[in-house]
Amino acid sequence: MKRPALIPLAIAMLALGAGPTLAGPQRVAARGVPVTQPVVVLLQDHVAHARASTQARVIEAVAAQRPLTQARTVLPVMGEVIGKDGNRWVHVRLPGRPSGHTGWILADQTIRSSTEWRIVVTVSRRTVAVFRDGALVRTFTAVVPKPSTPTPYGQFFVEEALHIAPADVGGPYALAISSRSDIFQEFEGGPGQIAIHGTGGLSDPLGSAASHGCIRLAPSAVTWLARRIGGGVPVTAAP
Amino acid sequence: MFVPSPSKRGRRAGAALVVALACVVAPLAAQASTVDLATAKAFVVLAGATVTNTGPSVLNGDLGVSPGTALVGFGPPAVVNGATHATDAVAAKAQLDLTTAYNVAAGQPVSAANDLSNTDLGNRTLKAGAYKYTSDAQLTGPLTLDAEGDANAQFVFEITSKLTTASASSVVLLNGANPCNVYWQVGSSATLGTTTAFQGNLMAYSSISLNNGATVIGRVLARNGAVTLINNVLDSTRCATGSTGTTPGSPGSPGSPATTAAAKALLAAQANQATNPKRTVTRNGTTSFERTPHATCTSGFRGTVRGHLIKRVVFSLDGKRIDSLATGPYRVFVRALPGAHSVTARVTFKDATKAKTLALGYRACADAVLSPPNGPSHFTG
Repeated sequence: MKRPALIPLAIAMLALGAGPTLAGPQRVAARGVPVTQPVVVLLQDHVAHARASTQARVIEAVAAQRPLTQARTVLPVMGEVIGKDGNRWVHVRLPGRPSGHTGWILADQTIRSSTEWRIVVTVSRRTVAVFRDGALVRTFTAVVPKPSTPTPYGQFFVEEALHIAPADVGGPYALAISSRSDIFQEFEGGPGQIAIHGTGGLSDPLGSAASHGCIRLAPSAVTWLARRIGGGVPVTAAP
Repeated sequence: MFVPSPSKRGRRAGAALVVALACVVAPLAAQASTVDLATAKAFVVLAGATVTNTGPSVLNGDLGVSPGTALVGFGPPAVVNGATHATDAVAAKAQLDLTTAYNVAAGQPVSAANDLSNTDLGNRTLKAGAYKYTSDAQLTGPLTLDAEGDANAQFVFEITSKLTTASASSVVLLNGANPCNVYWQVGSSATLGTTTAFQGNLMAYSSISLNNGATVIGRVLARNGAVTLINNVLDSTRCATGSTGTTPGSPGSPGSPATTAAAKALLAAQANQATNPKRTVTRNGTTSFERTPHATCTSGFRGTVRGHLIKRVVFSLDGKRIDSLATGPYRVFVRALPGAHSVTARVTFKDATKAKTLALGYRACADAVLSPPNGPSHFTG
């Protein structure tokens, strides 16, 4: 029996609203997709804490630049508070393991911005939907992970976009995602990072379930994405 | 023509007539005699019926009422820097002294040339002396009183009926004229228009009303009626002989320690208005903020502020200052960053125009902005 098309999207949208209360009202389009996503651009390395306090447990250090392209780190913002210490804190999504984890960083040395883009990957439908201003603008057929090497589900974000040399597989572009494979702690010299990338050098047909955790798109599709999607853009991975 | 009798009886009669004539003629020939408020000098506001205040008025001097009893509206935010006398012996005595002073002022001889009836007091300069109105008096604009260097010069205005001032009118004192020596004897009631800057001792037979923002350097004294205040500053400390209920101040001091900062500021403003009665505040600054090109999304644009009387423009991107220009052209180039952003221009003006913050929102065309750099392919594939 064919699954109703809107169910995975609805699940994804419910997950979108599962985070902490946002500091300000977030505009939401008629279909329930947020119109914009607040983000912060890090101007220097930060330390992520479990709560909005310098006394709270340290989760990790967050570099101001991404490791692959040295682009500035851009993190989606889920909330903002004035801590008891008088500092302004922002609740952000963090890259790396465990996939989808969050933390609090000081708002100092950050720039507030926003993105109107949003990506929703629906594994069961083997599609990548692209929203702008809350409206669906493109839907691409994708190669999704095979059942033995699934991609993590949840709320993530694009860490960086990069061009891949023609000689390498997965070109011509890749959107490196903040999630990491639960199966591979290391893959091809990398940390098991999930990406939305091209099918360059790979032969599995679009619409199949054949990847090791990444999402593959046709070269034209990933090129279209790479010219529009930058760091901080939310990515929802739904079953 | 009268011819004195040479007889003894006739000489006595003649002498008596000379004395009588002397009694009649002497006042006509005399200069204006000094008006003395005596114990009423301590009061900045004294009424016969009630004193009613609205708003944060400031009274530097004593407040009193007699024989009436009502003092209304003198809790915070109003300030009375002096003693308050409601229907007590001090206020009653002050009323008696006020009546005396009022009558002395009303009896000042006035030459025909000083009969200002049916003319406006505004936009004229008067020397020391007594002036009269046989009916109502009107002040529209500035009235200048010139003491010609005589610190004791006395000005007396005998107004048979009402005194009314138009909004923003003023009494300007020149060449040593002292507000303590200016007396306004009003036969019925007086009304000071909004923001009128008044000076002198205002003595009304009936009531006195001060409209919003009017200020008085001197005194407001109503013999029988009410005094009504609305957000006024009144200061008698320049003439004070000491409060009747508090520590006496020094005569002629330009402000007792109790004078509040607000009163000082308003009095300074009044003094400034008196010095520059024609000075006006202009707010003619204009400005606009536009960008070129006008595309809804862009890879970059030039923001330009135009307008008149611009003093400085401070440009900010997402709240962070990026440029500050004190001379034109007031332009800034903004390289479009990914996402939605706001460019603001804070414009200040050379005149009193209120500063304005103008904003331009923009978002970059993604394909014009992003050019992903090369990177390794080591994802999970």
